[in-house]
Amino acid sequence: MSMTRAELQDAAAKAFDGDLTPDAAHSWNLIADMGWLMMAVPEDQGGLGLGRAAVGVIHQALGRTLVAGPAIAQMLVIEALSAAGGQDELLGRAMAGEVMTASLADGLSAVPDADRASHVLQVEAGIISLLPVGDLAFTARTTWDGTRRLFDVDAGDAAGIVLATGDAATALASRLSALRSVALAADCLGGADAALAMTIDYLETRRQFDRPLALFQALKHRVADMKTALVAAEALFWARASDTAADAVTMGAMKAHAAGVYRLIAEEAIQLHGGIGLTMEHPCHLFLKRATLNAVLGGDGDHWEEARGRQAMTA
Amino acid sequence: MSEALDSLRQEVRDWLAIHAPKDWRGQSTSEAAFLELQRSWFASLAKAGYAVPHWPENWPGGGRSLAQQKVIYEEFARADTPRLLLSFMSTYHAASTLFEWGSEEQQQRYIPRILEGEIWCQGFSEPGAGSDLAALRTRAERKGDVYVVNGQKLWSTMGQFADQCLLLVRTSSEGVKQAGLTYLLLDLKAPGVTARPIHQIHGDEEFAEIFLDNVEIPVADRLGEEGQGWAVAQSTLSSERGLTLLELSARMRGALWRIGDLIRANGRGEDAGVLRDFGRLASKVDATCAVADQFLANRIAGEERVGDASIVKLAYSRTLREFTSLGLRIGGLEAQYHAPITFGGGMETGNWMADFMNSYAWTIAGGSDEVQRNIIAERLLGMPREPKNWVVKEGAA
Repeated sequence: MSMTRAELQDAAAKAFDGDLTPDAAHSWNLIADMGWLMMAVPEDQGGLGLGRAAVGVIHQALGRTLVAGPAIAQMLVIEALSAAGGQDELLGRAMAGEVMTASLADGLSAVPDADRASHVLQVEAGIISLLPVGDLAFTARTTWDGTRRLFDVDAGDAAGIVLATGDAATALASRLSALRSVALAADCLGGADAALAMTIDYLETRRQFDRPLALFQALKHRVADMKTALVAAEALFWARASDTAADAVTMGAMKAHAAGVYRLIAEEAIQLHGGIGLTMEHPCHLFLKRATLNAVLGGDGDHWEEARGRQAMTA
Repeated sequence: MSEALDSLRQEVRDWLAIHAPKDWRGQSTSEAAFLELQRSWFASLAKAGYAVPHWPENWPGGGRSLAQQKVIYEEFARADTPRLLLSFMSTYHAASTLFEWGSEEQQQRYIPRILEGEIWCQGFSEPGAGSDLAALRTRAERKGDVYVVNGQKLWSTMGQFADQCLLLVRTSSEGVKQAGLTYLLLDLKAPGVTARPIHQIHGDEEFAEIFLDNVEIPVADRLGEEGQGWAVAQSTLSSERGLTLLELSARMRGALWRIGDLIRANGRGEDAGVLRDFGRLASKVDATCAVADQFLANRIAGEERVGDASIVKLAYSRTLREFTSLGLRIGGLEAQYHAPITFGGGMETGNWMADFMNSYAWTIAGGSDEVQRNIIAERLLGMPREPKNWVVKEGAA
């Protein structure tokens, strides 16, 4: 099966057609029904074999409409099960939408929807395993970003299904880190695109001093800077997403760049919306909250930029 | 298709390995040395068929697809060759305008001379007409078979070394300001022409101002009809879209090692703050390369939109400012001590204060960042245009 990026984008846009923060349960069913969880899995394992480009398209669409749910964590579990091999039964269940989750930060912190999951992925030095949720304790950590439900998980001495050990675990951990960066970066770029479009619409509609705000050059220039930053970040994203040789640092730096652009645009969106942007009734704040959370999930900018700097020192 | 491109890439790479000038920056410390290097490198490329890949196929060295041109420029950047600064206006702006508007006779007269090394410059901007180009006032009056031209041109790249000039003049003050313009080809050796270099803040002289005092230009050297100058000028201004920025972005990425070396030399290699700034810059440079690459890919696919080129230019100019600014910062006091510049040495020579000052050439020349932002906001994003009915307040002027 082969689908172009444009076809994928078209299908994704139709599924989530613009209403922000759609119902979480309905969204999850839609994601599973459309086969989005199996997009990146090789065809001989029952997936669609569309790789990271498909991951990019999906998470841009989810970011654009601020969809709730554990899609990024679920894809990490699916990638781990797929890479481990011999886990077809669990892999099939995960691809069909049975929630299996993973940390979006370090250890077992910031685990999305752990209370609805059957399993939690644990990535430790030299060993990666899948823990059945019955053996675990978890604590809800309410985030400012209301579109995500994060938990800290305490594994105690629970033992799970071992997916990789030794060098294989190290390699898989690096692969998971890169995938997480791709998914988070895509979420950032989708959200940034939506926040920018919303801001332009507002500037064209809102009138002060007998003219639309969009007529003021000072504001237009800020919009042009946002657009330029976004287009460049998108170009970098697609260059990296299609680069199978890109390592965790390269992907992490790309994610940090995308998160920086999301944050710039989300901050400017509030400022350019003026008073209404400060209210809960307007969706501006949803983008700002998701942008700042995305910036620290999967390693923050300080971490990745320093790593990229070290890499560039030896280039 | 991509196999043919790979084979072209190898061919160019092999040729450059033998013919690309070595250690040319070290030698390019005077204007004379710069001119000599530019002339000999252009002649060498012209002979090998790499100087004008964008020309139509009926001209020697022409007929390469955009994808092939991209490969050639990527290899130039990779080999860190001198950029073709002296002949750039000739092979792009002059040639493209002649191909589109020149008569058969005009093309046969001027195009072969470009390949032989004749240098063209552009006489568009004036003291009172920068971003607002159509407001230009250099006057041309028709007297029989000649136009008599009076006025002053500014910011003519390499104008003091040029033989010929693409000249935009006013032949009428009637109607909208664009309608009164006419496009002429000026021989800079004609009586009444004076070209003087402009001293830039970093010590280089890449631009000239040109004074025109009763200069006679034959009517036969007009491109297009009288009053059609604005349309002809659009061909000149859009003659090169994307290749230069792709090449410059690749060269900026290729020059990141200069900052890495500087960080190491100044003992900052374990300074996390410096490493972060360097890493953030590296990502921006990567993004600039990616956006230039994507722009050309879109052009090759016929999907370029109005304003896309402005995004690439703005992304490049801002990133270059950050690149040179970081070098200047880490360079510290040492970078404040005056060092001789390398003529035509590129945007990143490691002479940080000079490089930083020179980066303004990209945020101001060729349509300033502010003009690019207007284009992006108004033409790409469709935001409303500036109202035209601005009135000077009584007594204010």
